[in-house]
Amino acid sequence: MMAAPPPRPAAPEAAPARIPSLSYRILVAALRLIPGFLLLVALPAAVLTFVNSRGYAIPISVFAVTAWGVALLVIGAAQYVLKPTRAYGPLSIAYSSVGLLYLYYALSLSPYRVSLSGGTASFAAGYGTFLEVLMIVPALGIVSGLLTTIEDARSPTERLPFDFPA
Amino acid sequence: MAALVVPTHRRPPGIYRAAHALRTVGAVVFALLLVFVGTVAYSAYLVATSSTESHSMSVQFASNGTVEVSGTFSLSNPGWYPIERLELSTRVANGTGVLLGTVLVGPTTVASGTTGVFPFAVAIPITPSGPAASLLTTDQYLSVRAWGNATYAYLFPVSVSLTQNRSWGAPFEGLQVSVGAPVVLGGQVSVPVRITFSDHSSADDVGTMSFVIDSANLVPCGGANFPISVAAGTYFDQTETVTLESGCSLSGGHLLLTYTTPTGTVAFPPEPLP
Repeated sequence: MMAAPPPRPAAPEAAPARIPSLSYRILVAALRLIPGFLLLVALPAAVLTFVNSRGYAIPISVFAVTAWGVALLVIGAAQYVLKPTRAYGPLSIAYSSVGLLYLYYALSLSPYRVSLSGGTASFAAGYGTFLEVLMIVPALGIVSGLLTTIEDARSPTERLPFDFPA
Repeated sequence: MAALVVPTHRRPPGIYRAAHALRTVGAVVFALLLVFVGTVAYSAYLVATSSTESHSMSVQFASNGTVEVSGTFSLSNPGWYPIERLELSTRVANGTGVLLGTVLVGPTTVASGTTGVFPFAVAIPITPSGPAASLLTTDQYLSVRAWGNATYAYLFPVSVSLTQNRSWGAPFEGLQVSVGAPVVLGGQVSVPVRITFSDHSSADDVGTMSFVIDSANLVPCGGANFPISVAAGTYFDQTETVTLESGCSLSGGHLLLTYTTPTGTVAFPPEPLP
């Protein structure tokens, strides 16, 4: 009598996704706006206002910082709300693209010049190289968004169990 | 018998893992760059507030016929990052903005936590028709401007510009040479030549003053030389009588004045005669 063959392991299966409800995602996205607003709008605007009040003219305006920051906040919030959908990849690309344009805009204002009190000495600092290095970050984000878009196009629900594990 | 472990979760697909890894790398790079730029900004603030200064800059009349502007620029770098490839160019201009001389310093590096001291000396030759001629006879402010380029914290090109005005006291301030009316005595014609000036420099004028009177057609008519010793800050007024060569006409001529010390001679601009 032959021994029974060992049981074959079951094929790996993705755990079911546990996608939060739309209202929950909207609520969390709204809450995430608070630290995002502080980091992207309030803090830079406060720094600019403080520095301007000390007599150092910064080339980028508070309005520009606010506008770019709000744009990033809006897209970031939409990205979070729509994470379970196929719009997530394109929104990731849009978010990183806006970030890239933000950096490009700041790059166009380099170098930053400042004259010290008395007018006998002046300093000009170029930050173009630093911004170019910083552009790596949104560039990676764009590639990541592209990969997500491709994945969603091939299999729309493939990533959901990993993004929203049960 | 060992229990068989059955996987219940499959591995995320490669494209998902790649996208996730890129996002993670981006976040880490962003965080590191934020920390880096924060420390750079703080260090740059320390450098800017440590005041780049010029010390002990002096402007003096050198006896070899030159004016020497010398001194040191110091750049304190109390920050955390080096100032690399620092090059300073110093230019000296006279009171009317005419360039008198220039000197280059560097390239050099000011390490973090140190102070770079850069001596410089600009020797300005004085010639009667050169831009520095007015330094002999006119008090003025010399514009000393230094500017340079450097790289701070490896990524940030920086340019620095420093301007200072230094007062210059002329060693023969207000030099006046006046030729009096010719006097005929015993068949010889002589003229009194009066020389006045103030020594506003920091050094005494000790040497020999010489002058030659030339006629309009550049024929020497006569001259004199006499020692002077004028203390700094004092007034000089002396009249010398010169016997002219026979037949020499002063009309349209000029007087050439020179000042000689053991180490050099300075010629003043020609003084036209009436």
